[in-house]
Order: sequence, then C-alpha cells, then structure tokens
Amino acid sequence: MKPSDLRVQPPSFRWLAERVWSVEHAFERIKAQGRAEEDTRVRIFFVLAAFSFAFAILAFGAARAALFNGDGRAYGGAAAVASRADIVDRNGRLMAANLVHYALYIDPEEVWEPAATQRALLQALPGLSAERLRRAIEGERRTFVMGGLTPQDRARVHALALPGLSFEEEDRRVYPLGRTAAHLVGFTDSGGRGLAGVERALDEQIRDGGKAGKPVALSVDLRVQGALEDELRRAALNLNADAAVGIVTNVRTGEILALSSFPDFDPNAPGDSPAGGRLNRAASSVYEMGSTFKVFTIAAGLDSGTATVNSTFDATAPMKLGGRTVHDFHGANRVLTIEDIFIHSSNIGTSRLALAMGQQGMVRYFQQLGLLQAAEVELLESARPLVPRRWDENTLASASFGHAISVSPLALTAAMGAVLNGGEYVPLTLRKLDPNERPTGRRVLSEATSRAMLDLMRLNVVRGTGSKANAAGLRVGGKTGSAEKVIGGRYDRSRLVSSFAAVFPTDGPIDGDRYFVLILLDEPKGSPESMGQRTGGWTAAPAAGRVIDRIAPFLGVRRAADPYQTATGDKPPVVEEIIPGDETVAAEGGQ
Amino acid sequence: MNPIARVFDHRVRGFRVIEVAALACLVLLVFWVYLSKARAGDERSRIAKVEAEISAEQRKVRLLTAEAAHLEQPGRIGALAEAYTGLAPVSAKREADPDALPEIARKAPAPAPAPAPKPVEPAAEETAAAPAGEEAQ
Repeated sequence: MKPSDLRVQPPSFRWLAERVWSVEHAFERIKAQGRAEEDTRVRIFFVLAAFSFAFAILAFGAARAALFNGDGRAYGGAAAVASRADIVDRNGRLMAANLVHYALYIDPEEVWEPAATQRALLQALPGLSAERLRRAIEGERRTFVMGGLTPQDRARVHALALPGLSFEEEDRRVYPLGRTAAHLVGFTDSGGRGLAGVERALDEQIRDGGKAGKPVALSVDLRVQGALEDELRRAALNLNADAAVGIVTNVRTGEILALSSFPDFDPNAPGDSPAGGRLNRAASSVYEMGSTFKVFTIAAGLDSGTATVNSTFDATAPMKLGGRTVHDFHGANRVLTIEDIFIHSSNIGTSRLALAMGQQGMVRYFQQLGLLQAAEVELLESARPLVPRRWDENTLASASFGHAISVSPLALTAAMGAVLNGGEYVPLTLRKLDPNERPTGRRVLSEATSRAMLDLMRLNVVRGTGSKANAAGLRVGGKTGSAEKVIGGRYDRSRLVSSFAAVFPTDGPIDGDRYFVLILLDEPKGSPESMGQRTGGWTAAPAAGRVIDRIAPFLGVRRAADPYQTATGDKPPVVEEIIPGDETVAAEGGQ
Repeated sequence: MNPIARVFDHRVRGFRVIEVAALACLVLLVFWVYLSKARAGDERSRIAKVEAEISAEQRKVRLLTAEAAHLEQPGRIGALAEAYTGLAPVSAKREADPDALPEIARKAPAPAPAPAPKPVEPAAEETAAAPAGEEAQ
C-alpha cells in the first residue's frame, strides 16, 4: 500500500506526490520487476538533472557578469601613474616632475632608403649618434636608437613620414628649473632611483607620493632661492672665488628656505657637468670657518656664566700657547670686554675666554650645538666634521676662533640657529612644515644668552666688521669669518675661506620667525669692489646684505627703525644712549 | 485532466504550446542581452575614448606646467626684467607704509598750481554727466 493512499489530497498535489514517490521507489520497483529499461530511464533522468543544475549555475554567472560588470577601467586609457611624485617648493611651484618622453626604435626590415633615412633623422634629431643610427639601420632586428625624446622631437620625426620608425613611451624625470636649486633637489638615475639631494634623501616619500599622485612639498622658497643664487653667483664671479655656498634658514623651525652651491650643474644632464659642479658644498664639504665660530665660543662663555657682556680679557699683546702665538687680525692691543672681543673679532680675547671655560665646558657646548657630528638634516650628503683628536689648550684656543675644527656649512647653520632662536637646537629640515608647527628642539643655551648674542651680532653690523651687510631697516646682525686655508699641513695666508653669518631681524620676540643667511666664499681673490680685500667683511658681508635686502619682502620682514638706524637706513635723528638689549626703542619685530 | 497538466500537454500542430512560448521567451531574452551588451560596448568605448582624451590632456597640462616652470626660472625672469624693462628691487628710500603717507606728503614740496581751467565745452560736459556706472562697463 502506498503512503499517498492514506490521506485525501487535492488532485494537483496528488499528481506531484505520485511523481516524487515514483522516483523514490524507482530503484525498488526496478529491482522487484527486473525491468532493465526502467533503470536506464531513471539514470537518464538523473544525468539530465545534474546537467540542468550545472547549466543553471553557468547561466546565472553569465547573466551576472553581463549585467553587473561595472569596472570599465580595463577598457579605458587611465592616466599613467608616475613612478615619482612632483617636487614643489613651499608655495607649490614645480621643481621636478616625471614627464612622458619617447624612445625611438628602428626596424631595418621596413626601412626603404637607408641613406635618406639616416640623413633625415640626423637633421631632425641633432643629438642622435650617427654611428648608433648606422648600426641600427644596418642591423637585422628592431633596435632602440635614442631615448628621452620630447613630444616636439617626436612630431619632427613623424613629419618625415619615414617607414620603419616607431616610438615607445618612457617615463623620465625632468627638472624644469635647470640649475636653480640643483644641489638641493639632486637627481635620479635612468631607472628612477634618487642619487643625490632631496631625490635621494626623500626617495621613499617621493615614490609613495608618485603612487598617490601627491606632490612632495619642500621647505624651499623659490623666490628666496633665486635671489640667493643670483647674489652668490655674482659675488663668486666678481671675486673670482673657487667656490661659494649660500644658505637661508628660518631659525625658529629649522626649515631651509634656500641652499646654493657654486659652481653648479644641470640636473637634467648631471653627467655632462664636472664632478666639482655636482658637489654640494653646503652639505658635503667641511671648512675651517674662522671667526664665525666666535659666536659659539662667546655664547658658551655667557651661557656657562664664565663671563658677562662686560667681562674683560687682556688682549694687549699676542698670546703665547706652547710653540705658537695667537695674533689679532684687527689688533686692538688693549683690555677688551666681551662686546669688544666680538666686534673687533679678537682671537686673543676669544682664546682667553675658551681657556677660562676649560676643555670640558667648551667641548660640551660644541657637542650640544651639533658641531662635532654631521648636521642633522635629511640630506645623506651631510658630512661629518674634522675635529681635533685631542683637546688640549692649543686646539681649544684654535677652535675658539674657528681653526683646528672643520664643519660643513649646514652644521654651522644648524648651530647658529640654536644660538639665535632662543637657545634650542632644532634640526634642519627640507620638508615644508605646517605654519603653526613649532618643532621641538633640545635646549642648548638660555634665552638670555640668545638675546645677548642677537644684540652683539647687531652691534657688530652697526659698528664692527659686518657693517657692509647692514641692509636698510632690516635690523641685520652678523659675524664675519676669514679663515686661512690649510695647504700642505700649513696655514696659507694667501688663501682664505671668507664668510658672513647673518641674522635678521635681530629684534622682536625671541621665539619669533627669524632668518639666518650664510654666505661663504672659497678663496675669493679680491676685486675693485672689495678694494682688493679678501676677508669676509669685504667679500661675503656685502653679498649677505644684498641677499637680505632682496629676500626680506618675500619673508614678510618689513623695514623698521631700531636704535641704530631708521627704516630707510639713515642714522637715527636724535642720538640717544644706546643700551644693548634695551628693546623699548626697538620697532616692530619680524613676522 | 487537471488544468496545469492541460497547459503542459496542449499542442498545436504537434508542437507543445508551452515549449513554443518558452522558446520565444528565450529568443527574446537572447536578443535583449545582445542589444544591451552592444549598447554597453558603445558606451564603454566612448568612456575609454574620453578617458584617453583626459589622459592626453593631463599629459599636456603637465608638460605645459613644466614649460611654465622652466620659463619662470627666477634667474631668467630677473635677467629679462633687467635687460628689457630696467626693473630692479625697490630701494629702501622708496618704500613707505600707508601710515607714513601723511608725513611724506607734509615733507614733499607743495605741488605746482594747477593750470587755469579752460572753458567747458558741451561735449566734455556730456561725458562728465554720464552716470558713473557706465564707465565700469
């Protein structure tokens, strides 16, 4: 008896139930009845069902793929992703970019007239190697002939309408500014790997930026860079200097606003420049800086309490130290206060101050000012200093006025920043910082010492060796340096490294924006403009003054009067007693 | 015979109606899918073309930006300004704050007296009488 007989069901369900049960019992029936053909039909039914199921899945998949395949990118010519990001200055102006160039290929089998093709190509592409072209045309298969072609080059070749020539796209790094900021930006190899400058220092960030399509912004201001380069080049050529370095930084943030090294090179063809041109002297050369180091010695002396601005030191006669004698260049031959020592750039006075501080004290300050290690900056070229193996009285006295220790201009710049920004050593950076960001540095000097040094540097420009840097109304302070070069183990008096370390504005809040300018000339020869002189006060200081005069508007520093000068550069109308450090008369500060 | 079985078994000239109807549906569906795909293909190729155009334009923009940067090199602009316009940085004596203007005016020599006014001609009067807004247009 069948189970369906047990209950009363509507006709349609009965029909369906019967079919289901008949399938259920098919095998039993077949077995019972011994009917082979029934077995076959059931098998066919199962195979059919399996196939139907598979086709249903396929149909579903096909319909889904046809109707909901939304990703059309596979068809589109989407924008090519550059392998390296653009490099821009702090105002977004382009300094380096990857542009599509073209590589020319020749398939000799398709070339009809080899001689005419050679002639026409050489005329259209003057940089093409005739030998290479000949080999390609006479070869047997498609060959690369020339890369780095611009769209204009390609258009010229297309216009020849010659068969057998084809192009392939290639991504190439381009520096549209040419020699401007070349040392700072650096360059890459043909594979797009950074080899020098920012390209090498920020290689990873530039690659990531390229993937994300975001430019990498540097701390550099191209307007400041342009003015610095112009004045540096002018000074170097005018004074026939072997080399020159110029740096502009914001001492509050440590941002490098401009950096220039002369001679320079074109990063679009770095191989074409002599090696001397590619050398970034601001980072990778070390110099005995001379008297600019007195800034550090005097700051250390004031900060440690060894001396005050009014302390006196005997400079009546040259100082004998072991087998050598320390002389003064501008010999005052009298007892000098710290202020006098600074303004007259007295080697004797500075040596006596350093000796009074003692070896440990001085070396600790040099250490904290970062002068005994490579400058903290992203550039991998940053060179380690040459420091004395042993600090004795002799080397201590020498180092106090910038001999016996060679540092890179960037290391000097970073240390000067600490002296001039309120006393914190802030590492230099080439990355643009947020305007409200105040990088944390390590405290090296007290704010009072920093203020005293700003006043001393201002006085040195008003009354001392730095007077030629006194840009009207910009409250410039500074210190000259003229170091004899060591040639064959001896100081050569005829070869100087002349420099000027300037800061402006010297007034205003101690933690405000303040700018440091370094001009360094390697072996200036003297010119009619410098009255034949080669020292820092006659060569680097005027250049620094001109740079400051030009860049102040870009940096938002307005001309204003201070106790020593009116805003237009004249002497103050009423001569008052001038007290260094008295800010009541000082006009508005920097911004 | 129940109605569902009748629908399945109903034949016209030997063909089951249900099968003919299913076949017609299938043909229609295939045709519709074909049309949709063809239309989508057209759209895709249009999109691809526009994207290629955008890409080409972007390249051109990049090229032009680089060219502009090349032409605007500070050194080049400085040299051109010096050579052709005689422009140079303003000297400190010629800089002034807006606040300082009254003081400068006080120090400056009094301006020469203006020439005696000529008799006003009718044409000039008309120009003067024109509404101020017209000038801006």
